[in-house]
Amino acid sequence: MAKRRKRRRSKSRKKTVRRRSILTRILLILAIALAGYLVYLDYQVRHQFDGKRWSLPARVYARPLELYAGLPLTPEQLSVELSALHYRSVPSPRQAGDVSRNRNRFHVISRSFVHWDGREDSHNVQLTIVEGSIQRLVDGRTGQAISLVRLDPVIVGSFYPAHNEDRVLVKLEDVPLELTSALIAVEDRGFYRHHGIAPLSILRALLANIRAGDVVQGGSTLTQQLVKNFYLTSARTLTRKLNEAIMALLLEWHYDKDEILEAYLNEVYLGQDGNRAVHGFGLASHFYFERPLNELSIEQFALLVGLVKGPSYYNPRRHPERARERRNLVLDVMADLGLIGVDEAARLKSRKLGVSRYHRKATNTFPAFLDLVRRQLRRDYREEDITTEGLRIFTTLDPQAQWQLEQVLGSRLTRLEQGRGLPADSLQGAAVVTSIQGGEVLALAGDRKPKFAGFNRALDAHRQVGSVIKPAVYLTALEQPADYTLATLLDDTQLTWEAPNGDAWSPSNYDRQFHGTVPLYRSLAHSYNIATARLGLDLGLSTIVSTLKRLGVDAELRPYPSLVLGAAELSPLQVTQMYQTLASGGFRTPIRAIRAVLTADETPLQSYPLRVTAAVAPAPAYLVTTALRYAVREGTGRSLYRVLPERMDIAGKTGTTDDLRDSWFAGYTGDRLAVVWVGRDDNQSTGLTGSTGALLVWRDLFGRFGEQGVLQSALEGIEYQRIDTTTGLLGDNGCEDSVELPFIQGSAPLEAAPCMRGGSALQRPVDWFKELFE
Amino acid sequence: MINLYKSYPALPGVMLGIVLAGCAGTSNNYRSPVIEQGTAAPAGSVPPPAKPQQPATSGGVPPPRSQSTTAQPAAVVALLDRAEQQANSGDLDAAAVTLERAIRIDPRNPVLWHHLATLRLAEGEAVEAEQLAAKSNSLAAGNYSLQARNWELIADARRHRGDVAGSRSAEQRARALGSR
Repeated sequence: MAKRRKRRRSKSRKKTVRRRSILTRILLILAIALAGYLVYLDYQVRHQFDGKRWSLPARVYARPLELYAGLPLTPEQLSVELSALHYRSVPSPRQAGDVSRNRNRFHVISRSFVHWDGREDSHNVQLTIVEGSIQRLVDGRTGQAISLVRLDPVIVGSFYPAHNEDRVLVKLEDVPLELTSALIAVEDRGFYRHHGIAPLSILRALLANIRAGDVVQGGSTLTQQLVKNFYLTSARTLTRKLNEAIMALLLEWHYDKDEILEAYLNEVYLGQDGNRAVHGFGLASHFYFERPLNELSIEQFALLVGLVKGPSYYNPRRHPERARERRNLVLDVMADLGLIGVDEAARLKSRKLGVSRYHRKATNTFPAFLDLVRRQLRRDYREEDITTEGLRIFTTLDPQAQWQLEQVLGSRLTRLEQGRGLPADSLQGAAVVTSIQGGEVLALAGDRKPKFAGFNRALDAHRQVGSVIKPAVYLTALEQPADYTLATLLDDTQLTWEAPNGDAWSPSNYDRQFHGTVPLYRSLAHSYNIATARLGLDLGLSTIVSTLKRLGVDAELRPYPSLVLGAAELSPLQVTQMYQTLASGGFRTPIRAIRAVLTADETPLQSYPLRVTAAVAPAPAYLVTTALRYAVREGTGRSLYRVLPERMDIAGKTGTTDDLRDSWFAGYTGDRLAVVWVGRDDNQSTGLTGSTGALLVWRDLFGRFGEQGVLQSALEGIEYQRIDTTTGLLGDNGCEDSVELPFIQGSAPLEAAPCMRGGSALQRPVDWFKELFE
Repeated sequence: MINLYKSYPALPGVMLGIVLAGCAGTSNNYRSPVIEQGTAAPAGSVPPPAKPQQPATSGGVPPPRSQSTTAQPAAVVALLDRAEQQANSGDLDAAAVTLERAIRIDPRNPVLWHHLATLRLAEGEAVEAEQLAAKSNSLAAGNYSLQARNWELIADARRHRGDVAGSRSAEQRARALGSR
């Protein structure tokens, strides 16, 4: 019995033990599962916080405007630039981003900005513009002369990731204290004391809300709000609430308050711009006030802080009254806590909201140019890096030139259509503008409607170039100074060339005439086809193809005789590269749209330095430029000077293709090169030649650009001689038609023309002059 | 993923500083590129002024004008000073970027192109340096001392590449110019 009892007891004890051990096991498993879950949450919290927190779109900047004495700039241009940068017009500038203007006198306090080569500090500067250029630049406080001030650059666009998130990241130390203290006062007063969650604050919030008769405080801490935005979906479930709390605790355990606050400032959702979500105070500041956060005033901070509670409900543009009440409530809270004085709060409450007018932030202000930037970036970066790494891309775009191009292209095409009875919108156009020596793209149009982000004709329309190609033929000739000079007489009479297969080719001139013997420079200036064809055939087609390649034409070129008259299909950008090399004295510079790329934290990532390659000797390039100056003075481009001032030195070439399908003009001054194409997308006739179409766009454009630099300065190894154009020999004023032409030293004719005063006995003046001293 | 900023085996910056200082790097001895007309047009045949009202006649295109020297580019002087400081502290890349900035303001100033060539050579980019020196020469008509320095630089660049004969002929051209 005792045994049985004992056994029973032991049996029951065994049962308890077994039961206990099951419980322990379950608890253990639960603990392990919980621990595992915590580890998982912990990993999530840390992984995302330590890693790349946000997809940041690449920010694309225009060239910054450099202000210095001597810079050609009109007061209107400066005003336009400053307003594109959202500088505030004030009576008396006090802080960065302020400007005052009194006719041609400006007082600007520029913004500090990190450029690709380092930070440019803010400058307090006064300047006077006289006759289209900056005359004086002085410090606004000391009156001392300043040599150079670089403004911040206009943002020309962003490359967004697929989900269209956008941010302007701010660092906590750059965020004004008024903003953070107002935020903490309204959203989470206990922020610096709690450990992520604050049960008491929920109670306190409740009381405060009852007292105010409105919801002035939310129950969840900033940390919880951050976790909610950062890691969790917006589903309102109990598990999510629990996760939120645990993750908030974990976040606080791993990171200090400042790190969490900074993340919050950049993460919080503050509005919607079309399909682009506005996250963070940095972007919100630009979105609502069009200026950086550190330039806002206290009531503007209050407005942003008020938005946290409901960006849509308190949207200051759609519901200004609600937004005002909410802002004033925040100001009251700030006054309650002594962050601002009661009087100040009253004063600030009476101020206007100050929100800028909404204009859809087109991600494509200059779509054609951005397209070029993106293609150049793709050579070096993956698409994903372009849209998510927050790259800062400094481009060459000159917004002034771009606006001017946009204004003239569409309006000129409309005038052409109206003047010639063409259907509206039947013409299309494209243009590229570059700086001569640097090869930087200053402006680009790929469509007559500048905001249209479709077919980019500047890059992708490969069209027959016509006579625009001819300078390459003449360059090839002039590179052989023993055989060809600008004065060499060419034969512009009937030509029939027989191909090896028996086909005959017989080019004709545009005016259907033969011009007999013509000096080489005039044959190019007047774009004579037959003389050019004969010259090209004499030089050899493969030689001309190789000249085109040296000039930088990156395209398949077939060495048919018609090539020399422009039977090649090139894009405006390719033509630009060709003329770039000519315009810069034979030095080829790859056309660049990007100067440098920085990472989001402003580390230099890549620069695109200025590179030149001596592709053509300077002297023959010089001679071609001279011939192209004749083309606009007396040849096919002469209608330029019906409008442009005589003193503007221009070298340029028209191009017209069969049946007037394409109208081209490529021209350059001392500073700028522009190539313009006008045609129809269906490749039908436009009724326009190079000089009645594209040239007019070019003329309008350079009329806006105004004064241009010296086109041809002296070149070593070039000498000038007066030539009788009838014989191609030395001439003087005694000859009916004589011109002063440059020659590569030693290549000028030695023989004098019969018309020369004193007859042919006279030696070359230079030799005669030399002999005097020998 | 993203290739990092190229780092160059930089030569001692001090050396370059000397080069820059010697080549009119500071505002005191900065010389704007004076283009002497002597070589352009032979004596006795001064080109006539263009006929402004009759561009279509054979009066011809206006002959080359000498570059305006009225607007002294104080901005360029400031940037040259900065480039010199950057080069002296060994930051050749930064100095080159500053020079490019100066070239944007004054693109036909052969002194700036020469300095850029000097920097590229110091960075070991001999090919690029030679091209830039040639560019400088193409803008330096009449400035024989600058042309001579460019040819010296080209001689150095060619020696760097192992082109002894080319280097020697460049040296000869430098000497010929130096004696003018």
